[in-house]
Amino acid sequence: MDIFWFLTFAVLLAGYFALEGFDIGLGVLLPVLGRSPADRDRLVGAMAPFVLANEVWLVALAGVLFGAFPVLEGQALSRLYPLVVALLLAWIVRDAGLWFRRRADGAAWRLAWDGALWAGSAGLALAWGAILVAVARGLPASPLDVPAVAGGVALLALLAWHGRTFAAWRLRSGPHGSGRALLLSACAAAAPAVLVMAAAAAHMLGNAAPDQTLTVLSVMVVPVAPILAGAQVWVWRTFSRGALPTFF
Amino acid sequence: MDVVGLARMQFAVTGSLHFLFVVLTLGLAPLVAIMHTRYAIGGNPLHERMTRFWGQIYVINYALGIVTGLVMEFQFGLSWSGLSHYAGDVFGAPLAMETLLAFFLESTFLGLWIFGWHRLPRGLHVACIWLVTLTAYASALFIMVANSFLQNPAGSAEEGGRLVLRDFGALFTNPTLVFALPHVLSAGLWAGGFVVMGASAYHLYRRTPEREFFTRSLRIGVLTAFVGSLFTVGFGYAQFGPVSDVQPDKFHGAVPGVALGLMIMIGQFVQFGVMFVLAPLLIRDLLARWRWLHPLLMIMTPLPFVAAIAGWIVREVGRQPWLVYGKLSVADALTPGLTRADITASFAGFAGVLGLLALVDYVLIARAVRRGPGRVALGAADLPVTAEPVPAHSL
Repeated sequence: MDIFWFLTFAVLLAGYFALEGFDIGLGVLLPVLGRSPADRDRLVGAMAPFVLANEVWLVALAGVLFGAFPVLEGQALSRLYPLVVALLLAWIVRDAGLWFRRRADGAAWRLAWDGALWAGSAGLALAWGAILVAVARGLPASPLDVPAVAGGVALLALLAWHGRTFAAWRLRSGPHGSGRALLLSACAAAAPAVLVMAAAAAHMLGNAAPDQTLTVLSVMVVPVAPILAGAQVWVWRTFSRGALPTFF
Repeated sequence: MDVVGLARMQFAVTGSLHFLFVVLTLGLAPLVAIMHTRYAIGGNPLHERMTRFWGQIYVINYALGIVTGLVMEFQFGLSWSGLSHYAGDVFGAPLAMETLLAFFLESTFLGLWIFGWHRLPRGLHVACIWLVTLTAYASALFIMVANSFLQNPAGSAEEGGRLVLRDFGALFTNPTLVFALPHVLSAGLWAGGFVVMGASAYHLYRRTPEREFFTRSLRIGVLTAFVGSLFTVGFGYAQFGPVSDVQPDKFHGAVPGVALGLMIMIGQFVQFGVMFVLAPLLIRDLLARWRWLHPLLMIMTPLPFVAAIAGWIVREVGRQPWLVYGKLSVADALTPGLTRADITASFAGFAGVLGLLALVDYVLIARAVRRGPGRVALGAADLPVTAEPVPAHSL
């Protein structure tokens, strides 16, 4: 039972980077790929219908951490305190950029929230890189140092590439615009998380919740899993091609 | 203020901000779902305009519900790791279910609903907003199950210095849950009804061209507030018995006492007002025609929100000094080694950013109301993918 919930956790983390990774990467590249306001609108329109379905993988991940590995939840989040706070603030700023950028008129308004979208995305990538490095090193006492920054920058570059392949695929332009390139960059974006999970496996399995809790969770969640997967598939079938929605 | 006080204040501020937006989400979601259903069945363009206008208000409000909720979820591990250590094997389960069974689906279906105009078949599109409503209510259920466990740790037993789960069903039949859940959901309907009522009164008062639209909306708002306030007050009084059985001193402190008085005053007064004045004035649309009443309706709009926050203050402050009532004190649940610098920085960051965004969001909601149904972005025309291709050299 603990192996099942560990695998669920690992799949959610890998899925988060494969999916939300391209939203973050595209946000980072927004000033580069979208020189004009119209270009930026199209780039945001490409990712907009996926964001809500992608970012929620991390919410689910935190829920599984609390439900199935409660002791680790307290340990990990409090040891990583400054990084987790930075991650949350970046996430909030990125989301605010998305939700607010088209809610009022004026070039300055749009530019300010596009800036929030860019800064929040960059902050998310940097914070995640540092967090993955810290977890791989067994949660050091002070998680902010040179390897952490290097990890952040490396992940930023990786997700930016993933965002670029997504934009090329969705907007059907450029030499990288194939589905295969997107699949490849998705696997690459998830790879660091998979490696970190493999390194943390023994520690996590030793700190799972007792069987009674895990059984209750399984009985409640497993029957609904096909609906969760089906909803995700529905999003991809609906928004993979055609015109770009404009709400964000 | 010491570290515990700061951590408590951070939770109180982010939690209150979260609920200010969530309570409206809970109330508007079913209203928008009903409007959308009427449009799908009857095809009346007025119902489409109502769905998009009130749906846009709902969606703008939703943004702050998400970002404040993210902080709530992670705050347990950041500030209160003693809680996950002592009671995580029980308390974590409803929170995990909330994320997997409720919010995961709510967020996915909301994306499909917001961006699905012009591409989903009408029936499936309506199904999306109903699924959003259903999962939002499921979310409220699981969060209230978790909160009620803190009020009265039913279904668990202490073993080796930690709580273990003994009876999962007892979490759902907790006496601090069964009346509190409908109380909260009804308060959502009340808040949603008042926002629809207040915004409609604004347009009727200003004599904008959307007379029929807002006369009908006013009726929906007042009827929703009538049902919501009746059940909110009823289930509010119904809680006194079970609460005083498990927490006899709950209302004795100064803060919970004052908050309780404020909530009951607003609740009772406004509920009578809706039942005996506003609802009868719907006959022959007197309320829509009596323009002198409209400023009063606008001023009343924030009242259910004030009462809702007062209600949470009663429930949460009244349980002090316990985090898990009778088992784990708030001070003992604090993350070991959390420094004043840590908590001050994160408090300033969260409160500053979320407070600012909350203000911006309210301004945007007011702006969307003022612009009226004629200029709604939700469901607006799509952007062609190939109009002006991204230059190949930049890819």
